[in-house]
Amino acid sequence: MNLDALLDCVAASSCLATQISAGLIIGMLLFLVACGLTLIFGVLGVINFTHGSFYMMGAYIALTTFQTTGSYALAVLASTLGVALFGVIFERFFMARVYGADVLMQLLVCYAFILILDDMAKIVWGADFRAMGMPEAFVLPPLRVAGGFLPPFYLFLAAVTVAIAITLGVVIAKTRFGKIVRAAAANRQMVGVLGINTALLYAAVFALGSALAGIAGALAAPVRSVVPGMGFSILIESFIVTVIGGMGSIAGAFVASILVGITRSFGSIGFPLFTDGTMFVFMALVLLIKPTGLFGRRPG
Amino acid sequence: MTARLTVTGLIKRFGGVVAADNITLDFAAGSLSAVIGPNGAGKTTLFNLITGRLKPDRGTVLLDGRDITGLDEAAIVRAGIARAFQVASLFPRFTVEQSLVYAVQSHRRQNHLLFRRFPLSEDGQRARQIMELVGLSASAKQVSAHLSHGDQKLLDIALALAMEPQVLLLDEPTAGMGRDERQQMIERVRQLWVHEKMTLIFIEHDMDIVFRVAQSVRVLRYGAVLAEGAPQEIRANPAVVAAYLGLGRRGAAS
Amino acid sequence: MMRRSALLEAALTAVACLAVTTLCLALGSKPLMDIVLRLAIFGLFALSLNILIGYTGLISFGHAMFFGFGAYAFGLLMQARGVSIPVAFAIAVLATAALAVVVGALCIRLTAIYFAFLTLAFQMLVHAIILGWVSLTGGDQGLRGGIPRPVFLGVNLADPRHFFVFACVVAFASIFLIRQILEAPFGYTLRVIRDNADRARALGVPVQRYKLAAFVFAGVFAAVAGILMSLYVSGAYPNFAFWTQSGDAIFMIMLGGISVFLGPIVGAAVFLLLNDTITRFTEYNGLVLGIVLLCVVLGLRAGLLDVVIRLMAGAPVRPASVTTETPV
Repeated sequence: MNLDALLDCVAASSCLATQISAGLIIGMLLFLVACGLTLIFGVLGVINFTHGSFYMMGAYIALTTFQTTGSYALAVLASTLGVALFGVIFERFFMARVYGADVLMQLLVCYAFILILDDMAKIVWGADFRAMGMPEAFVLPPLRVAGGFLPPFYLFLAAVTVAIAITLGVVIAKTRFGKIVRAAAANRQMVGVLGINTALLYAAVFALGSALAGIAGALAAPVRSVVPGMGFSILIESFIVTVIGGMGSIAGAFVASILVGITRSFGSIGFPLFTDGTMFVFMALVLLIKPTGLFGRRPG
Repeated sequence: MTARLTVTGLIKRFGGVVAADNITLDFAAGSLSAVIGPNGAGKTTLFNLITGRLKPDRGTVLLDGRDITGLDEAAIVRAGIARAFQVASLFPRFTVEQSLVYAVQSHRRQNHLLFRRFPLSEDGQRARQIMELVGLSASAKQVSAHLSHGDQKLLDIALALAMEPQVLLLDEPTAGMGRDERQQMIERVRQLWVHEKMTLIFIEHDMDIVFRVAQSVRVLRYGAVLAEGAPQEIRANPAVVAAYLGLGRRGAAS
Repeated sequence: MMRRSALLEAALTAVACLAVTTLCLALGSKPLMDIVLRLAIFGLFALSLNILIGYTGLISFGHAMFFGFGAYAFGLLMQARGVSIPVAFAIAVLATAALAVVVGALCIRLTAIYFAFLTLAFQMLVHAIILGWVSLTGGDQGLRGGIPRPVFLGVNLADPRHFFVFACVVAFASIFLIRQILEAPFGYTLRVIRDNADRARALGVPVQRYKLAAFVFAGVFAAVAGILMSLYVSGAYPNFAFWTQSGDAIFMIMLGGISVFLGPIVGAAVFLLLNDTITRFTEYNGLVLGIVLLCVVLGLRAGLLDVVIRLMAGAPVRPASVTTETPV
C-alpha cells in the first residue's frame, strides 16, 4: 500500500491532471467494450464471454493492417468491419444453437472460442508481446493540461469514443432500429411476435456489439501491448463495468467506465500491487448496496 | 386437521396496476369454496398473497387467528397452507414416487440429514398413501416430465397434500382438460376434501364445476371482491352475470 | 425404489483404493503414479464443482478460488513450522470453508448470470491478492521454499510411495464422502432445488440456506484437492486460482457428464489424456481442446457418461431439450 504517494498525487494538480486523464482514457476503452457487451446482453439476453477475444482480434487486425499499409485509418476500419463480420458468423452459426439452452452451454461455446482464438493468435502472430507503435499523425509533443501531460493520441481516443457514444445514443433514441433494440431489451418474446425478424436483429446487434469491441482493440493497439490473452483482463473489467453500471444500460456503462478508469488510475499509485483488487472491491460495494447496478433495470 | 383462513383489506399494487383492491374474505374451517372471476381479476394474486409468494402492501392474512402476513413462503407452508399451481410445478427429473417421498421428507423436516440415504424408508409408506389418494399409484415409476397433463396436475396436488395442510389452495385444478376429465378431476378433489377434512379453496373457470361442488363462491373482478355467497345466489346475481357476459353461457347451458 | 447402500459403496471405494494403490506400487512406474495422482487431484476438483453445477444447478465460474486458497493456506501453515500435516490440513480446509461462507453469502442471492459472474470476480480477486501480496505468497513466483513434510503417525510424505498412498486414500475417501452427501436427504434437496427451486420453496425448503451449504461443501472439497496439489508440486502457484483452472474443471464436467456421479472423474481422465496427447504433437492444445469442446457441446450436447446412460435406457442419444437430463 502506498497511501502517501496517493495523497501526494491528489494534492499536486499536475499529477492529479495526468492521472485523471489516464483514468479517462482507460475508461473510454472500457466503455466501448462494455457497451458492446451490455448491448448484446440487453437485446439477446446472453453474456458474450468471447467479447474479450473480439477486442483482441481488433487489436491484431489493426496491428497487421497498419504494418502492411501504413494507414491507421485503414487499420481502424479493417478492425471494425473484420470483427463485426466475425461476430455475425459466431452468432449465427454457434451462439444461435444454444440460445434456448443452459447458461452453461453458452458459456462453454464461448470458452471454446476463447481457447481457439487465443491459439490462432499465437499461431499467426506468435505468443510474444507485439507493439504497433504510434501512427505518424500522433507523434507530437504531449499537451500540457493543468500542469500534467496528455499525449495527443489520448485526445483522439477520447474524441472518437465520445463521438461513438453520442452516435449510439442518437441511434438508440431516434431511429427505428434503436426503437426495436429498446423494445427487445424490455421484452424479447414480444419483438418476435410483432413480426420483426429476430434472426436479423440478433445478428445486427451482435455485429454492432462486436464492432465496438473491435474498434476498442484498434484504438488500444497504439498504446497497449498486443498479446494473446489480452482479451481476458478487459473482459473481466468490462463485466465489472456492466455490473456497476447496470446490465443493459449504455449510460450506466459510460458512468461506470469512467469511475472504474479513475479507480484504476489512482489505484495503481495507491495500491500498486493490488490495483485489480480495488476494482473488485468497488464492484462488491455496488453489488451489496444496489445489486442491479447504478442505472440498472431488469432485463426482459 | 383444518383451520379458518381470514384475509382482511389486502392491497397489492404493481406500479399503476392494482392487482388486489382491499380484499376481505373469510373461509370457514373445513369449507369448500370456489374463487371465480374473469381473467386478470386477481385470483392467482390472491393465492400468492396468502401463500407468501407476494407481500401485500397492506392488509392481513390470519390462519386460525394467527397473523401470517408477510411471512416467507417456506414459513407459511410450515404454518399449514399448501398450494397447487395453475401450471403444474413439478420436479422434472424425479419420478412420481420420488417426488412424493421427497415432499413427505420435507414435511417431516428431514432434508438436512447427511448420514442416511434417500429415500428414507419411513417416508415411503406415507408417499404411497398419497399416491393412492390421488389415483397416481399406477404411474409411480413414471418420470414427472413424461406424465400426461392430467397426471401432472394430480401430482401437483399430491405434492401439496404431502404438506398435510390445514388449508389447501388449488389454482385451476381442471385447467387444460376436456369436459369428462374435468368432471373426474373435480370429483376427485371433492373426495380428497371429504377424506382429509381440510379447508379447500379452488380457482375455477368452469361454472358447471363450481356449482356442482362448491359450498360457497367468491367472485373477484379487477382485483376486488364483487360478490360472495352460495352458488345459487351467485348464479342469479346480475352483476356477476354481467361480468361474465359470454362466459356465463357455459354455466347456463348445463 | 432402489436405495444405493452406503455400506456397499464404502466397501467398493475401499477395495478400489486398495486395488489402485497396490497395483501402482507393485508396478513401480512413476509415470503411472503421476497420472493417477493428477487424475485424483483434478477429478476431485471437478467432482466438487459438480456438486454445484450438476446437482444444485449453480453455475460457478470461480471455483478455482477454493483450490488456490486451500493450497496456499496449507503451504503457508506448513512453512510456518511447528504444525503437523493433519493439523495444517484441517485448518486450511476450515479456513477455506470460512471463505466459502463469506463469498457464498454474497453471491447466492443473485440470479444465475450474476452469480456466475460474481463468483468469477471473487476468484480473480483472490488471484489478485495472491499476485499482489508478494511478501506473503511470493507473488507470481509462487510459494517458494517448498512444503516441509514432518512425519506424522509413521507417514513420511517426503517418500513418494507414502505420498502416493496418502493422496489416494484422501482422494477416494473424499469421493465417497461427496457421494454420501449427494445420496443423502440433503443431496436430494439440492437436486430438487436444481429441478424447481420455486416448488421446493412451496414444500417448505429454505432454498438459500441449502444453496449456501452446497457452496461450502463444494469449496471444502476443492480445498482438499488444492492441498493434495500443493503437496504434489511442493508449492503453490497463482494459476491455481486462475480462471483457466475453473474453465478446465467445467470442461471436464461437460466431457464426462453432468448427470452421472462419476461423470466429472471420467471427464477429468479424458481431459488429461487428451491434453497430454495433444501437447505431445503441438503446443496449440487450446485450439484442439476448443474444437473438441465445441463438438461435445454443439454435437453431443451432453457428456460421455450421459450418453452412455441414455443409450442404456434405450432413449434417443440427443435429447429434445438440453436441460432435461436423465432421471435422478
